[in-house]
Amino acid sequence: MDPRPDPADAVADLFDSSLNLEDAHFKEGYAEGYDYGLEAGREEARQVGLKVGFETGEELGFYRGCVDVWSSAIRVDPERFSSRVQKSVKTMELLLERYPVLDPENESVQEIMGDLRLKFKAICASLGVKLEYKGYPKSADDKNMEF
Amino acid sequence: MELDWELRELQTLEGHKDRVWSVAWNPATGVAGIPPMFASCSGDKTVRVWEQTPSSSSWDCKVGFLTSATAFMMFRFLRGEMWLSLHALWCVDDGNCCVHLRAVLDETHTRTVRSCAWSPSGKLLATASFDATTGIWENVGDDFECVSTLEGHENEVKSVSWNASGSLLATCGRDKSVWIWEVLPGKEFECASVLQGHTQDVKMVMWHPTMDILFSCSYDNSVKVWAEDGDDDWHCVQTLNEANNGHSSTVWALSFNGSGDKMVTCSDDLTMKIWGTDLKKMMSEDGYAPWKGLIVTGAADDAIRLFVESKDGSVDEPSYKMILRKEKAHDMDVNSVQWGPGETRLLASASDDGTIKIWELQPVA
Repeated sequence: MDPRPDPADAVADLFDSSLNLEDAHFKEGYAEGYDYGLEAGREEARQVGLKVGFETGEELGFYRGCVDVWSSAIRVDPERFSSRVQKSVKTMELLLERYPVLDPENESVQEIMGDLRLKFKAICASLGVKLEYKGYPKSADDKNMEF
Repeated sequence: MELDWELRELQTLEGHKDRVWSVAWNPATGVAGIPPMFASCSGDKTVRVWEQTPSSSSWDCKVGFLTSATAFMMFRFLRGEMWLSLHALWCVDDGNCCVHLRAVLDETHTRTVRSCAWSPSGKLLATASFDATTGIWENVGDDFECVSTLEGHENEVKSVSWNASGSLLATCGRDKSVWIWEVLPGKEFECASVLQGHTQDVKMVMWHPTMDILFSCSYDNSVKVWAEDGDDDWHCVQTLNEANNGHSSTVWALSFNGSGDKMVTCSDDLTMKIWGTDLKKMMSEDGYAPWKGLIVTGAADDAIRLFVESKDGSVDEPSYKMILRKEKAHDMDVNSVQWGPGETRLLASASDDGTIKIWELQPVA
């Protein structure tokens, strides 16, 4: 057996490393990007979570406050409130309890919040009060359409 | 036997100081000797109530004509409203029509009144306004008084409709929502439900003529059907959009035939669609009224058109054909056309040109 390396192997090795160069750099770049993305994503998620959490909490708190006041008023003088309004206030309370505060990825968060907003509007209209939660955006555009 | 129809122009009513959006006939008039009455609403923030002068013979109008000659001379000494109400007594021709102004409902809405609707009893008039409120008016003696104001919409209210029994009122608006109100004794109103579902401005709401089912149409190209599932639990039971043969642009209005088994919708996509339901006819038709089943439209090309179901039998499905086009019915866009109540065969049209015209449907010999 010839102990000298096969010249073909030597040539292959030479090219191997340059081929591997592309691969190696790819892997290195990927790893770098991944680490960076992980860090940036985590930071962005934290910001988004704080913002949405604050907004959601504030809105829920607002409704909770309204429901508490209304429920107290109903307890004091039930005759002054129609059965429909009383029922709506109770329904709103149930919705608030059902809202999955600790589970933001629960699918029903949008639905429950939507229902809360509609119930709130309906109760305000029936009671004749002009309450408005200034936090969330209005449902229509600000452009003045006149048709 | 297919009849040919024509529209005879009876009268032009001026008075509104801006475009007239809509007219609504009082359903309790035009029968049993009560002269037909209708309301018109306008960009001038007012609603006007008009009534046909009961005149059994045409000499009434001729008197009006004579008066007009002298009135013309006195014109310089009269101002504003008086001039207009005299003007309204004149007839365009010697037909016995003579619609006069009965009342002006003003100083309430602070913006355009977009739509109005009488309760089925004819006692109340609801007015939908861009000022985000809906007014409820009652006829008190000679005048109309605003007895209630419904607030809740975030912005412009576009349409208002009473259900068949007058126990429910629906409104809709640019805030994309549809509101259902319950009519309580003492002209009190309570919000029963706020419905979200449309993704754009809701242009019109209308209750089915016999059942408590609500229809709404929108800038989002769809028509939605809303029904109640027990106590105040309203939700959308059907959406008619492009996916199920619906319109491809804004749906502006919808209307039902007398028995409520057919509905027609009209759209910015320049088509009208006729929709049917499988429900059996709820109302029996007493007697044959050949002009029922006619569809009349007012369009942005200033014309009024009449369509009738075509029974030429060559196609399996029902088809409709246009039998009349009144070009230049108005000087500008025709915003609304409404058939008169009862058996009157009158048609009122409202236009951007600020006028209302009264027409009569007549068979062509």
